[in-house]
Amino acid sequence: MTATTAPEAKLQVLPRADGSAKFSSAGYTVIGSVNGPIEAQRRDEHAYEAHVDVIVRPAAGVGGTRERHLESILQSSLAQLILVKNFPRHLIQIVLQVEETPENDYANAKLVQASLNFPILPALLQTAVLALLSASVPMRATATASFVAVLSQDGTNKVVVDPPPRDIETARSVHVLAFTSHDELLLAESEGDFTVKEWDDVYDTAKRICCQSGGAKTGIEMELDDAGDNGLDMRRFLRSAVETKVEADLHWK
Amino acid sequence: MPLDTSAYSLALLRVDGRRWNELRRIHAQIRTQAAADGSSYLEMGHTKVMCVVTGPSEPGPKRGGMTGGVGGGGGERSSTADVSVSVVIAGFSSVDRKRRGRGDKRTLELQSTISSALAASLHTHLHPNSTIAISLHVLSQDGSLLAALINAATLACIDAGIPMTDYVVACTAGSTSTYAANDEGADPLLDMNHQEEQELPSLTVATLGSSDRVAVLVCESRVQVSRLEGMLAVGVDGCKQVREILDRVVREKGRRMIQEGTIEKGMSLDDMDID
Amino acid sequence: MPREAEPSLNERQFVLQALRENLRLDGRPFDKYRPVELIFGEQYGVVEVSFGKTKILAKTSAELTVPYVDRPLDGIFTIATELSPMTAPSFEVNRPTETEVLLSRLLEKTVRRSGALDTESLCLVAGQKCWSVRVDVHVLSHDGDLTDAACLAVVAALRHFRKPDTSIEGGLLTVYTPAEREPVPLSWLHSPFCVTWSFYGDQGEMALLDATLSEEHVRVGSCTISMNRHGEICQIAKLGGTPVDAVALLQCTNVALVKVKDFSAFLDRKLAEDAKRRDKGGLMAELSAENDR
Repeated sequence: MTATTAPEAKLQVLPRADGSAKFSSAGYTVIGSVNGPIEAQRRDEHAYEAHVDVIVRPAAGVGGTRERHLESILQSSLAQLILVKNFPRHLIQIVLQVEETPENDYANAKLVQASLNFPILPALLQTAVLALLSASVPMRATATASFVAVLSQDGTNKVVVDPPPRDIETARSVHVLAFTSHDELLLAESEGDFTVKEWDDVYDTAKRICCQSGGAKTGIEMELDDAGDNGLDMRRFLRSAVETKVEADLHWK
Repeated sequence: MPLDTSAYSLALLRVDGRRWNELRRIHAQIRTQAAADGSSYLEMGHTKVMCVVTGPSEPGPKRGGMTGGVGGGGGERSSTADVSVSVVIAGFSSVDRKRRGRGDKRTLELQSTISSALAASLHTHLHPNSTIAISLHVLSQDGSLLAALINAATLACIDAGIPMTDYVVACTAGSTSTYAANDEGADPLLDMNHQEEQELPSLTVATLGSSDRVAVLVCESRVQVSRLEGMLAVGVDGCKQVREILDRVVREKGRRMIQEGTIEKGMSLDDMDID
Repeated sequence: MPREAEPSLNERQFVLQALRENLRLDGRPFDKYRPVELIFGEQYGVVEVSFGKTKILAKTSAELTVPYVDRPLDGIFTIATELSPMTAPSFEVNRPTETEVLLSRLLEKTVRRSGALDTESLCLVAGQKCWSVRVDVHVLSHDGDLTDAACLAVVAALRHFRKPDTSIEGGLLTVYTPAEREPVPLSWLHSPFCVTWSFYGDQGEMALLDATLSEEHVRVGSCTISMNRHGEICQIAKLGGTPVDAVALLQCTNVALVKVKDFSAFLDRKLAEDAKRRDKGGLMAELSAENDR
């Protein structure tokens, strides 16, 4: 399976949820549903803001600490985006179901993977944002995310976007960065050894992917070609996914 | 467990010496616990169960156990009574002494089945906002467990005086051929014991009174579809026999209570006509 | 946890009155399924089944483990069914509801206890190494008839699944990665399918197949019949509800057999289509090699 597949997204795939989305990128397929704002349970009730509940469910096996970790990261990021103060004593429930993860053909997968949970994070975040958009939950901004790894090949360090699973295992460090639509850094999670210089490179690469403004920028795209990636533009992608859905919904006009 | 069922074709006698259409001994008692609203004790062969019914009463603060039935899960303002069933299988009830936890799915399924079978026969609409709690204890297991539980619960509900359309009576039926064997001469069997249940295909059937209407039909083994008709017919017939036996127990108890002066012989209760 | 909205009296009346006039809300005949869709994933053992608005995802996975002490010659086979809040917000994580328990028991009895998968073939070294095959059933959207859809999904996922190839030489067990050797299918014995009838009316005299959620809310009883196409009943479950005439039940099993044969043919066709699709690459490569010469 090729790891660098173009992202694909579909909105409102589940008929009974308030909002839902299916997103696939780099071999990961995630389906997400959003219900809300709904009545919060007593223990989750906040007097001044809505409680954002994120549930991550693995494709196989029961969720464990790995999923709880992802949930806590996503929960704090999404609570920043959603206008939680508008819905005191409410609950916004986001369920993210992993459908497929890329398989490593050179090793037999184990059901329990204690580490290696970062590569899926961008897909989860992207699905959540799309599902929130489809549920029309008021948000401060949208967000885009990317996964970047620093590989050391032939003594030189190379910054690679969405590497295949085999390279992730040997990568020196892996990073997940997410940016809001106001070009603010929303989320930065890193694992492994890296220098400040490397992190700056990673930051620039991730920002280029996440924060390209819609217009054609030939100069940057040329640079991107250099990095082995032809103008992956998450923000434009997000926009077009929603536009397609809106167009389909309003085709009667 | 290796069991020589092939011996059946020689003498047409089963492992415990019964013929194909014979029930095991059924012994039943009602009003066994003086403190309870309704109670019963039932033996079907070596399967022994005890039942206590509380209610219809106001629902308690905590809603534990398996609720179900036609009431729609029992909200705060249900228009029908909630039938909540709890089944406890004693550790010493079977040979292998397997501990079953509270969340055992098989037990939960039993509870839900009994609850929804009885809810269809009890006049739950006469008791809105209330709960009928049925608590069943299995003391000894030798096959036909679900059937024994349903029968015991029915008796206890009668004892508790909860209005119902008719008895819900149950028994099991089986077939002498396994699913693989395709012989034509397979006989249906009535009232399976544990050994037979392990070895042969069987089903549990519960009917409403002596009618042909089936409230519960549970089959957990592989069997040819052509065998079903015979097994079902024998099962339904067995239920009618069980109803007679249970009815006799109830009438006998009623007669004794009138003789002892526990209750007055009323006008409408002329010779304790339950029907 | 918000409670699931119960249908109003008007909705109930509407559905029931329509049924009395031999009409269903979606215009189907009583004994017809909604359009059944079945999509295999990119990976082996992933399948998405939808019956109208009911959507189920099943994923099969296998790992090496130690067999149970009391069954040293058998592999381990589990079906995990958990309804997540994705299905409806009223389902809570780690708190099984009655629907969930009954669904998982039905699947267990239909697929596992009926011996559809040969668990002995999963054992590699007696008492030491065996495969643990696990099917995870994820209900994405619930619009009635979960059992039938989930059962189809589980059977399809298991038949589509390929486990890594293994060999034993001189007591040494080797598990080959997909790059070394093509994975092998499971040893499958028969394909059971569930057919669920819903009953309506005071005597349960009306019987419907593949009820939608609103129809399930107003039914007075239901009966799930599991069979394979050889006419073997794997399981019957009419767990309470309004009593139904025994003869009518027998009729239901006969119709169920027809439906099961349809399901069986449908799945066989889908599996063949998928195999063809996957083989295309290999076939094309062969053709191009010939052209080179």
